[in-house]
Amino acid sequence: MPGDGTKALAKGSCAPGPVPEGLIRIYSMRFCPYSHRTRLVLRAKGIRHEIININLKNKPEWFFSKHPFGQIPVLETSQCQLIYESVIACEYLDDAYPGRKLYPCDPYERARQKMLLELFCKILDYENTTFFGGDCISMIDYLLWPWFERLDVYGIADCVSHTPGLRLWIAAMKQDATVRALLTDKCVFQGYLSLYFRNSPSAFDYGLC
Amino acid sequence: MSGLSARSLAKGSAPPGPVPEGLIRVYSMRFCPFAKRTLLVLKAKGIRHEVININLKNKPEWFFKKNPSGVVPVLENSKGQLICESAITCEYLDEAYPGKKLLPEDPYEKACQKMVFELFSKVPSLVTSFIRRQNKEDCADLKEDLQKEFSKLEEVLTNKKTTFFGGNSLSMIDYLIWPWLERLEVLELNECVDHAPKLKLWMAAMRKDPAVSALLIDVKAHKGFIDLYLQNSPEACDYGL
Repeated sequence: MPGDGTKALAKGSCAPGPVPEGLIRIYSMRFCPYSHRTRLVLRAKGIRHEIININLKNKPEWFFSKHPFGQIPVLETSQCQLIYESVIACEYLDDAYPGRKLYPCDPYERARQKMLLELFCKILDYENTTFFGGDCISMIDYLLWPWFERLDVYGIADCVSHTPGLRLWIAAMKQDATVRALLTDKCVFQGYLSLYFRNSPSAFDYGLC
Repeated sequence: MSGLSARSLAKGSAPPGPVPEGLIRVYSMRFCPFAKRTLLVLKAKGIRHEVININLKNKPEWFFKKNPSGVVPVLENSKGQLICESAITCEYLDEAYPGKKLLPEDPYEKACQKMVFELFSKVPSLVTSFIRRQNKEDCADLKEDLQKEFSKLEEVLTNKKTTFFGGNSLSMIDYLIWPWLERLEVLELNECVDHAPKLKLWMAAMRKDPAVSALLIDVKAHKGFIDLYLQNSPEACDYGL
């Protein structure tokens, strides 16, 4: 299956064909934290998928038939069903696919993870466990991770210097196989950012041959 | 159910005791649309519950231990577990209690309900802005914005060709949207759905639902509440009692 490292499709590109049976497709962009969430879940659950990267500064016309405003991520199934909004897509994957469940089974624990997500921007203190859901990595950790991976790149790693618990969590996350498999090299990230802020259309393909 | 029409608890009140076994408690306020969502689900699923109304203009200190943000609704069960955020409380109730499921079992249908919920998401803040706008003559922009949002909902019903947002029977997404559409009458905003015939039919169908009709707010009481609320009166939440 084509990996993450493919050039973004832009205006004038051909619309992709239908999604083959046994596969799910994600419309994504290599540096977008929202689609990063969904890619983490696809990977963590071992779901067979294909990735189509979208050039967000020069969107293909056909992409607006996948999402009214051309946003990513979008999931497309082989039955032509479309699911968007990163959190909805992640929950859909957890519900629809067998194997390891990322959301807990207990209704209260599920509710707690959803409340934590709401508080994402205002994290003050959390319980004394390694991960946000307990002693094992679970959905809430993957939903929060993309922003913390980017802290270092954006040069604001200092904002966790006074929260040792969060720093420990970041270290624990970096040991997770799924997180490691999708870690973006810091230099590639920075290269993308500097092109992006100059409005360069080639930003999205930075680092590809 | 006990407490639905009880006086609200305010600053200086004693904190309530633990929730008895076999019951779930909802901290609410009679005129809050967010709490209405939770009350609708409790009613629709026939869940035994008690209601404690909170005076949102004069909050009890102990209430911040139930929800640090100090807003309703909050669910508390007999294990002392607290659930906040109206949509999360509704989903929790659907998962934790037996009987009719309000959310679909099919993962894609469930995702569709959540996508419709996102489509609706701008409506609550627009309605709040309208209520707070001093000069009601100068609200053309807000009304236009609301009309645009309602057009999105009309499009969903048109594409689905069903009476309700989840299909031909009423389900979770309908209850989540209803409290704001209920308010159009008291706010004199019915014109915002004039161009949305399917949405109007949906509103009429909703009023026939037993849970919806049991929890309908009297328009006069609602108006009295809004007037006092805008004046920041601590009497607002108990208007009509």
